[in-house]
Amino acid sequence: MANLAIDIKKQNTYDAIVIGSGISGGWAAKELCEKGLKTIVLERGRDIKHIADYPTAMKNPWDFEHRGQVPLDVRSQYPKGRAAFLREETLPFALKDGIQPFVEEKPFTWTRGYHVGGKSLMWARQTQRWSDLDFEGPKRDVFAVDWPIRYADIAPWYSHVEKFAGISGNKDGLQELPDGEFLTPIELNCVEQHLKKVLIKEYDSKRHVIQGRCAHVTDPQPIHLKQGRATCQHRNLCNRGCPYGGYFSSNASTLPWAAKTGNMTLRPFSTVHSIIFDEKLNKASGVRVVDTNTKEMIEYYAKIIFVNGSALNSNLILLNSISARFPNGLGNDSGLLGKFIAWHNYRGKISAEYEGFLDKITDGKNPSNGYVPRFRNLHSQETDFLRGYAAGVGAGRGSYSSREGIGEDLKNSLLFPKLNNHWHVSSWMMGECVPIEKNHVRLHETLKDPFGIPQLVTSAEWTDNDVKMVKDYMEQFTEMFTKAGFRNIKAVDGKSNPGSDIHEMGGVRMGHDPKTSLLNQWNALHLCKNVFVTDGACMTSTGTQNPSLTYMALTARAANYAVGEMKKKNL
Amino acid sequence: MNRRLAIRDLTLALGGLVSIPSWASNGWNANSLSISSSFFKTAEQNILEVIVETIIPESSTKGAKSLGVPAFLQKMLQDCYEAPVSENIKNGLSATDATAQKQFGKPFEGCNTQQKQQILLGFEKSEDTRLKEFYSLIKNLTILGYTTSEYVQTEFLHYNMAPGHYYGCVSVKK
Ligand SMILES: Cc1cc2nc3c(=O)[nH]c(=O)nc-3n(C[C@H](O)[C@H](O)[C@H](O)COP(=O)(O)OP(=O)(O)OC[C@H]3O[C@@H](n4cnc5c(N)ncnc54)[C@H](O)[C@@H]3O)c2cc1C
Ligand code: SF4
Repeated sequence: MANLAIDIKKQNTYDAIVIGSGISGGWAAKELCEKGLKTIVLERGRDIKHIADYPTAMKNPWDFEHRGQVPLDVRSQYPKGRAAFLREETLPFALKDGIQPFVEEKPFTWTRGYHVGGKSLMWARQTQRWSDLDFEGPKRDVFAVDWPIRYADIAPWYSHVEKFAGISGNKDGLQELPDGEFLTPIELNCVEQHLKKVLIKEYDSKRHVIQGRCAHVTDPQPIHLKQGRATCQHRNLCNRGCPYGGYFSSNASTLPWAAKTGNMTLRPFSTVHSIIFDEKLNKASGVRVVDTNTKEMIEYYAKIIFVNGSALNSNLILLNSISARFPNGLGNDSGLLGKFIAWHNYRGKISAEYEGFLDKITDGKNPSNGYVPRFRNLHSQETDFLRGYAAGVGAGRGSYSSREGIGEDLKNSLLFPKLNNHWHVSSWMMGECVPIEKNHVRLHETLKDPFGIPQLVTSAEWTDNDVKMVKDYMEQFTEMFTKAGFRNIKAVDGKSNPGSDIHEMGGVRMGHDPKTSLLNQWNALHLCKNVFVTDGACMTSTGTQNPSLTYMALTARAANYAVGEMKKKNL
Repeated sequence: MNRRLAIRDLTLALGGLVSIPSWASNGWNANSLSISSSFFKTAEQNILEVIVETIIPESSTKGAKSLGVPAFLQKMLQDCYEAPVSENIKNGLSATDATAQKQFGKPFEGCNTQQKQQILLGFEKSEDTRLKEFYSLIKNLTILGYTTSEYVQTEFLHYNMAPGHYYGCVSVKK
């Protein structure tokens, strides 16, 4: 018996464990495997193989039996609140009801992708760099804690991940949104360019419209061809999975790369329950996993552990990692684990029409969109709220066919749509939420999920600062749109739930001091140095940029640090 | 772009690096629409067909019936709507015949085009919300089925799954 136990332990021992195979976990796997570490990637969902498992990717509209609408019997398997968003096209990636219930003490929208690749198959692929104006935010404006890193620390890692992932963009030369390693940019259309010119003129070159930098290979380099990825075909069907590998996903990029090294073991259907802390060694020795098919509990062991379950799950795993040494969750002497949860403020939206360029139209599809980098409170405090917002912006011409009438007239108007006699313009805000202690997640005292893991309680709400920011966005964009000659301008505060942005962050923040933060400057737990958290949970503040590029860069940086420390026998 | 071209381009784009998955080589033929025969009675199916063809008729261009829109409607009504909605559709179908009898002294099918249109347009403006909802759903589904058909998408609406480019500012073709 004893021998058998030792054998199993040996069999289940790797150099590294990565929890989660989404955007950040995929990067951890790639970096660690490339550096020669035998790595097991534990993923709670099913496997999704690039191309082979994108069943809807090449379907035409008429190939869908219900033209996209999801039949009732299928619909009933999904949570009621999400039913409205279900489509036949993207159903393979939707999360069924009851898999992981959680308790919304206050309303919170938590969007999850539980399958190999995580939300990298579902994301909108916007990839903007942070600048020091973001990293220095908490210190300057006195909130949260000071970031233990600055732009110079992460800049080379942004370059590292951008080159591999393939990011299209312009070198815009803006201090607030540093340039990166860009592939051929996608162009702005006539109306977006018009807005760009108007803003430069009217706001003294302080407000800009740029093309959003996005993870699309517009001209594949040898490194992308080696991954088996080809030029983006401008299909805009990305959320079905892209058979060309036109956009970055773990499935198309990092995971197959890691697999090719021969060092990766990918184990789907493996929900990590908790991290095992070894009191004698004063570090983590492995993880407990629930096999989601058999519900059996299995242990895996490794020298280092990367926690990449997506922000709230990484909080959940650490909170649930209880030992005599850490009764309140792994590394949580400070009591701050799960606190200072923040997200992006997507409440404000605006639409308008423009009657210029009526002799022009766009041709093909733009998988990205225009982007207005933050312009509020950039260099000093100017408004009655802290920080600021970026915004997406897009214009399109569109066509219209009347659905009035019956018979031949109706048919002809459907067969021959007319170009709209205006362009429609829209924008959506992406505001920085200032993290506060009260906004937190914690474990429910009694409720468990189907795998015996405590349910997560989300307790987060908007602050006055957020509300003021929405108002300012609506006013400023109304003014900017008016100056551009747009008409029929409608600004709304959608009052969406926190979390609707799908950019939830924090709870395991980075900082200088173990008393006021959980992670050090290398994303390692201050108090358990072989555990690294490099997804959104690590974020001390939120910036205004779509966050995933920053998770990728932090992950690659931490993984390379961890390998170096292992070589020096420090871990 | 049609499927064959899409697959060819996919193969080219991937440069033979990856084998074409099974979903791309099989199951590409028209949907086998499975409709349980008991859902609509034959008489109901017949009226539905005539209504759909009245909304979008055949002429020098194809109409809704020859593009299989009636079968699509049945599929949708059977799979995607709660029982009260499909009940209302069944009621609406018999009300259509009843209205034809009342107004023109013959079944709906026997009416001429103008009479059929008159009956349906009457529903559109009807005070009876159930009739109004009946017609509105049938009409919307007919438009959906018609405009997403391969024929309309490829021959009229310039459907192109993979344009391969994006130009932000080109002149409108006259
Ligand atoms: C519609 C949409 C649009 C978006 N647009 C953008 C955008 O434009 N730009 C941007 O930067 N971001 C965008 N995002 C957000 C982006 O997808 C996430 O920031 C990113 O995927 C987070 O990476 P991650 O590795 O932390 O988590 P994920 O990619 O979510 O991966 C987490 C993985 O961990 C697994 N997992 C969770 N718990 C466990 C456990 N206990 N044990 C084992 N495995 C576990 C999950 O199954 C999942 O596979 C968007 C998201 C969505 C849904
Ligand atoms: S737009 Fe590009 S990345 Fe998206 S599905 Fe199309 S080819 Fe793929």
